[in-house]
Amino acid sequence: MKTLVFLEHHEGKLQKDALGVLGKAVSLGGEVEAVLLGEGVEGLATEAGKHGASRVYVADDVLLAAPLPQPRVDALESLVNDGGHDTVLFAATVLSADIAAGLAARLDAGLNWDLTDLVEADGRLVGKRPALGDSVYVDVGWTSEPRLALIRSGTFEATETGGTAEVEKIEPRLQDFSLAARMVEQAHEESEGPSIEDADMIVAGGRGLGGPENFALVEELAKALGGAVAATRAVVDAGWYPYAAQVGQTGKTVSPKLYVAVGISGAIQHKVGMQSSGLIVAINKDPNAPIFEYADLGVVGDLHEIVPQLTELVRARKAA
Amino acid sequence: MRPADYPPPFDLDEFVAAPGEPEIEVGVLVVGAGPAGLACAVRLGQLLEEAPELAERLGEVPVAVLEKGKQAGSHLLSGAVVNPRSLRRLFKDRVRTDEMPFLGRVEHESVYFLTPKRALRIPAPPTMRNSGNYVASLSQLGRWLADQAEEAGAVILPETTGHKLLLGDGRVRGVQTGDKGRGRNGEELPNFVLGDEVHAKVTVLAEGTQGHLTGIALERFALQGDNPQVWALGVKEVWKVAKPLDSVIHTMGWPLRAGAKYREFGGSFIYPMGEDMITIGMVVGLDYRDVELSVHDVLQELKTHPLVRKLLEGGERVAWGAKTIPEGGFLALPRRLHAPGLLIAGDGAGLVNVPALKGIHYAVESGRLAAEAAFAALQRGEAPGRRGALAGYDEALEQSFVWSDLKQVRNMRPAFGRGFWLGGAMAGAMTASRGNFPPGHASLEHDADQELFRTDRAKSYPVSDGKLTFDKLSSVFLSGNQTRDDARNHLRVRDRVPPEIAELWARMCPAQVYEVGDDAGDGDVHVEVTPSNCVQCGAITAKGGRLTPPEGGSGPEYKLT
Repeated sequence: MKTLVFLEHHEGKLQKDALGVLGKAVSLGGEVEAVLLGEGVEGLATEAGKHGASRVYVADDVLLAAPLPQPRVDALESLVNDGGHDTVLFAATVLSADIAAGLAARLDAGLNWDLTDLVEADGRLVGKRPALGDSVYVDVGWTSEPRLALIRSGTFEATETGGTAEVEKIEPRLQDFSLAARMVEQAHEESEGPSIEDADMIVAGGRGLGGPENFALVEELAKALGGAVAATRAVVDAGWYPYAAQVGQTGKTVSPKLYVAVGISGAIQHKVGMQSSGLIVAINKDPNAPIFEYADLGVVGDLHEIVPQLTELVRARKAA
Repeated sequence: MRPADYPPPFDLDEFVAAPGEPEIEVGVLVVGAGPAGLACAVRLGQLLEEAPELAERLGEVPVAVLEKGKQAGSHLLSGAVVNPRSLRRLFKDRVRTDEMPFLGRVEHESVYFLTPKRALRIPAPPTMRNSGNYVASLSQLGRWLADQAEEAGAVILPETTGHKLLLGDGRVRGVQTGDKGRGRNGEELPNFVLGDEVHAKVTVLAEGTQGHLTGIALERFALQGDNPQVWALGVKEVWKVAKPLDSVIHTMGWPLRAGAKYREFGGSFIYPMGEDMITIGMVVGLDYRDVELSVHDVLQELKTHPLVRKLLEGGERVAWGAKTIPEGGFLALPRRLHAPGLLIAGDGAGLVNVPALKGIHYAVESGRLAAEAAFAALQRGEAPGRRGALAGYDEALEQSFVWSDLKQVRNMRPAFGRGFWLGGAMAGAMTASRGNFPPGHASLEHDADQELFRTDRAKSYPVSDGKLTFDKLSSVFLSGNQTRDDARNHLRVRDRVPPEIAELWARMCPAQVYEVGDDAGDGDVHVEVTPSNCVQCGAITAKGGRLTPPEGGSGPEYKLT
């Protein structure tokens, strides 16, 4: 097996999910290489090496500065054709999904998407894809090489193995039609603290908070922990918090080390977005709330009393 | 207090438009890939195969089928025990019965009257006998029929709703499909795509229960009969079980209440689906009056009965869904099922035999007859838009077994408005007299016209244990519904209503779409609506609101129902 992992980066940092996918590729064995496309990205190759890549291809080109898919499809096409990779893996993002689809068309290759695991069975690579609202897992395979796969965000955790990678510079030839699109503007949604997909700690608020003003409780606790704020569909629907913070079936899937659910009943639509969190703590006044069935630690009580005290304790501990 | 006193903000004119420039022109446009629409498409394909010059004249797409679900079958749900008669007639020697996607022939059947702890076996009423019939998943049957229709040359357009009826010169000219990518309040999102005008020589509405364009057409062409349509709501689950069930079971009585004042007409069905699955469902007439009645919760209650619990023991729930059933029967049929350029078939026309618990074979039969009428008019070179050009459809349907079956049982459903015991006795007399006793026609009232009252019904609903009994949200999840949260709200209900009305909707809706909101002053409350939970069962239209088409491709993703 010769695997190529596409490493996405933003603002000079490698994306955590991509490193997680790299780690998974290494654990499957064989030759694992990675590719970095962008402007001024060579420095990131060291980190890729620490996460297990034996070789990192780096294309440093001003034409690759903007996060546009087509030039990257060009680069990957020639790289895979020359390098003879039999497997190409992507951590799913808006950009990588575009690239993977384009690459599949160029190489006439099969692409499996939304995978939550990769295993080797009887010498063949098998992907696991959740279906029917995550209630069953479908085994998917490929009938030809190269095999392309998009891994669902938040699936594999990045772990350092402490290796070093050989860096190989490449100069991709870009097609004229690939340069037809240009980046007009990039804007960021204003938010404090880490984004919920990247955060190690998340404090999430639900309808049990009683009103949008009480989100302050959640924000204070998140700030004390150095984490991000998430919300349930019900409160996003009600306009208490922006959609970007929504966790669940129709929102984001997160897997922080700590997930504190405040005033969240924990319907399955929410559970599927956060069930792979490390430690789940639930604070809810209803002892029959479904969230207590899968929380590691459950506190039955009034969140208005408990959350401010918890915030104080965290602050005191951090100060000490 | 009656739900009808709080009509929804709904204007028919919003869903009618004059035809402009067509994006797509087809020969016959079928709206709805269910048993009626697909049977129609299959039959048209068979007929056009024999008439190549007509097929040529109809252009590149002689037959197209619009389907609002992700694929054919996505929104199909029924019991279902199917009488194979119409499917055999449709396919003749092309497909054998054993090649149809049935899950087993009915070998044994039993009917029970339930009390809270006991089950009394009673003789099956003659209308309910099922020997020679087959158990099927209508969702699977729909997918199979779609394959047959495509093989016969039809083009199926999934994820596409029929949004507006295109009317010009007093006739139906086609359909405007629904827009995509609108936000909650109708605003255009970055991925906005405008709907298309699909023009057709004949439009066949086969939309199923609570058909949207069907409702518009019935009103626009004044096709309604003397009696209003009435509905029932069915909620069902599919279970993977340890031991096979060898018989088709129906129950009456508990958890429904027999008293006439409650108007709780209905019962349950429990069918084997092959060796390792069982389907179980509860159907209740929507003329019920208790604000606290919830068909979903009554089904959960039913599963705690010893008879049922035993069947499900060690099993696992694998599917859930809900759908309304038109129950008015013969009395509620439209005056005509055709208008210039238009035919109406299947459940949308109300072709359901309530005492027999059957409608699929009528849907197939009416779809086939609609195809033949459309074909005959086109073959004659006649403009199908001419008045009466499609009248052959009504004539053929009136000559068919569909009509005689429905006529015979016409007064059965209204009789049960008098409660279980008297209704049951009258139903027996009607059956014995083949519909001649009592003489004349009974009448029906709108479901939304029933006076409401409240009992403490909800106290007896079991708490969800996640094993045998389930809440509504986890059920919606199991339906495969992944509608985006910011999709346009397709449900029309009053925002401010008395608390009883809001609670009626909240309890009634099996998908937890409605919640009783904050105080709105003057004793009223706001109604909180979560449209993305909606599985498009249609109950809200029967009980004081209006379901309009959601974005194409949204809603449940039924596979086994």
